[in-house]
Amino acid sequence: MPRFAQFLILLLITSAWWAVPQVQAHHGWSGNTAGEVEVTGTLVTGVSLAGAHGTLQIEDADGNVWTITLAPGPRTHRAGLRENTIPLGAEVTVIGERNENPEVYEAKVRRVIWEDQVFDVYPPR
Amino acid sequence: MLELMAWLEASALANLLRGLGIWTYGLLNLGHILGVSMLFGMVLLLDLRLLGLWQRIPLAAIIGPTVPLAAIGFGLAVITGIMMLSFNTTDYHGNPFLYLKLPMVVLGMINVVVFQRFGAWQRARDGQPAAVGDQGILRLAGGLSLAIWLTVVICGRMIGYW
Repeated sequence: MPRFAQFLILLLITSAWWAVPQVQAHHGWSGNTAGEVEVTGTLVTGVSLAGAHGTLQIEDADGNVWTITLAPGPRTHRAGLRENTIPLGAEVTVIGERNENPEVYEAKVRRVIWEDQVFDVYPPR
Repeated sequence: MLELMAWLEASALANLLRGLGIWTYGLLNLGHILGVSMLFGMVLLLDLRLLGLWQRIPLAAIIGPTVPLAAIGFGLAVITGIMMLSFNTTDYHGNPFLYLKLPMVVLGMINVVVFQRFGAWQRARDGQPAAVGDQGILRLAGGLSLAIWLTVVICGRMIGYW
């Protein structure tokens, strides 16, 4: 079936995209490879659960504003962290993986700590 | 591009969507997948037929159902895709998969518009006898279309992993 063979070759060529090495990034955490990070700061932008992932922003003692990526909205919500749970200005500690670019104050975190409350948006297994 | 992205992110549509609750993004994602699966399923069926498979099925019988369903799937995918992008548009600035995907979508649309002007397509669609050279044109268009939409789907899936 030569026509079908032609089609298969075409399919292989277009599928060669998969062989591009950078495609083999790790699920969603690809840009966060600078290792474990723990940041404490005051909440300057409250928790948002809209979009692909929840977010918040904290300012550390050196005045750096960190953009923190949480789990997807429903999952963060299920971990007990709602949009109005933590008031602005509160001291918050986050634990997760820092962005690979040291110029960027960004981290994707699995744990958020506020006062005596611990929110494990990605619980330890 | 960054200006356009910032505009979409700050648009009334984006602000409306952000206020609709925590499941909004997931539901838009669902709509996008439904649209893409419809579009790509129809494209695959039609393009494989154009490439020469299942020749005992008349081309007009395949064109009839696949083209309108592909158009509906495309519309659904475009609307939900723009909506999903609007949440954090500038986060995707410089994303190579998005930057390859968008021109590929445009190329796919151009392919449809141009190809529908060809006599070869019009004869096939209306069930008229094929002229000399028609088969080659149909096969070329089918192969081109399949390559374009496969690239679109692969790039689309990879955007979030960059």
